[in-house]
Amino acid sequence: MTSATMAIEVSGLEKSYAGLFGAPQVALRGVELSVPRATAFGLIGQNGAGKTTFLKTLLGVVRPSKGRVRVLDGDPEEPAVRRRIGYLPERLHLPAALAGVAFLASVARLKGLRLPPRALRESAHRVGLSSDADRVIGTYSKGMKQRLALAAALLGEPDLLVLDEPTDGVDPLGRADIRGILAEERARGATIFLNSHLLSETERICDRIGVLARGKLVREGPLGELVGEADAYRCRFVLPAPAAALVTLGFDASDEAGTFRLRAGTPEELNFRLDAARGAGALLVDLRRDARDLEEVLAAAMQAAS
Amino acid sequence: MRVTLAVARDLLREALQRRWILALGVAISAVVLVLGMALRMEVVDGALAATRLFGHVVRHDIRSAEGAMNPVFQAVAYVIFYGGIGFGILACSDFGAELFSPGRIEHLLSLPIRRWQLLLGTYIGVFTLSTVGSLYGAGAFTILLSVKSGVWTLRPIVAALLASATFSAIYGAMLASALFVRSAAVAAAVGGALFVLGIVAGYRDDLAPLFNAGPSRVIFLFVTSLLPRVSQIANAAADLASSHAVDLPHLGRSLFGLEAFGLGCLAVGMWQFERKDF
Repeated sequence: MTSATMAIEVSGLEKSYAGLFGAPQVALRGVELSVPRATAFGLIGQNGAGKTTFLKTLLGVVRPSKGRVRVLDGDPEEPAVRRRIGYLPERLHLPAALAGVAFLASVARLKGLRLPPRALRESAHRVGLSSDADRVIGTYSKGMKQRLALAAALLGEPDLLVLDEPTDGVDPLGRADIRGILAEERARGATIFLNSHLLSETERICDRIGVLARGKLVREGPLGELVGEADAYRCRFVLPAPAAALVTLGFDASDEAGTFRLRAGTPEELNFRLDAARGAGALLVDLRRDARDLEEVLAAAMQAAS
Repeated sequence: MRVTLAVARDLLREALQRRWILALGVAISAVVLVLGMALRMEVVDGALAATRLFGHVVRHDIRSAEGAMNPVFQAVAYVIFYGGIGFGILACSDFGAELFSPGRIEHLLSLPIRRWQLLLGTYIGVFTLSTVGSLYGAGAFTILLSVKSGVWTLRPIVAALLASATFSAIYGAMLASALFVRSAAVAAAVGGALFVLGIVAGYRDDLAPLFNAGPSRVIFLFVTSLLPRVSQIANAAADLASSHAVDLPHLGRSLFGLEAFGLGCLAVGMWQFERKDF
């Protein structure tokens, strides 16, 4: 892929912080990553893996010690590039004395956007703050502040959204709202770069995943590839299942009694195999895709990294 | 420049929402209003015949209105100078710490702003705030006293501008300190220390003989030579307000040194800001 089709290109990225006494603390070690445009990329990893540092290097807030970072085909410190980025930081500290809509107006001004008051109110409405837009931020709950910061990140329809724990402190319904908004942004063509501890959230939003461990990107790829094969299924039959017959038909027995794994490239093949199993006397009670969840992917990646 | 001014404007908007700043505005307005109603001056042919405050006669002797008002303008200039700077140090100490606080600075730096624009915008915002505050205080008292006494002068307002210029230099150091330690208390301590040391530095020639001739005096003179001469400028502001003679070349040198100190501190702040990761 050419650089024009990439939203983020990182090569040989290293970041170390000078220690006051003793050896410098290394946060990132030779990270290589390319994120295509219009994708939703999720970065996962344990606490202290370097996720937030990595995010900040994408914004020019943290300067790399070594390596190269290109965002939207430019230097992330260039105002013209930053104008096309929306960022939601992890640790939010919004000016408590300002009203929500005044904060949005301030961000719009600093982004060089000329938005009428109605557009700002629509932004607040989009994140569910329409009735609280005129209240001062000091009176907001954590979830409301999070929503307001998301509205600020979305101002000006950015090409890249960098979101650090966007649903932190948001109630379950609010999380669903935010997922909906992010889906709309993706449909518009925006690239989403997400860092979240909520792996189920990441799994629902992202189609590409990267696993960062001790400052290294140890796994990276499409979600389907990481969590399991797209053509692998897990079937559970009523006990006692005719195991020998099922194995002959291409089913692989698993550790769990009555449960078998099956690979089928097409729906036709899947149904053909299941019909054959039923013909052999097996009664199907559960069928699901044989996929790991991100927690397992993370655990396996961490194990491999260590 | 547009972005820098937008940062300054946001700071002013935020400042106007703060209780401390609002309280100062309300307090000045209340004092002026009460004085306006309680103070009566009888001026006949340019002479102040009688002054009454809350109905009580304050002065018995008859003297020229201008001569009578000069000490009053001098006192107002001192109050605005020292009171204004002291209040400014306390009220503005957390602007830097707030701006550079985790969660806010990352957000600001992710916007299309250069770091120097953010710092300069903050400095301009605080300078504007202190200038508007001192002009409001000095202007209100000057108009009130001028209306009552018939002595019209702009000198107390010029004196207030000197106070604002002095505060801006001190604030340059406070803002720079916030980039090294993100703490309002440290910024206030730096401001307070500079304020006091600046008063001492203004009297360095008088105080130097108190030190034994030798290294201690040399060190005192060297350290105070680097500091803004706050008390010298305060005295010049008071003299200006009370129509006393002012050594303008000396005041010019003091102001030059003051602004060099403030801009130097700001330059150190910018250097630290440019190299710092957040």
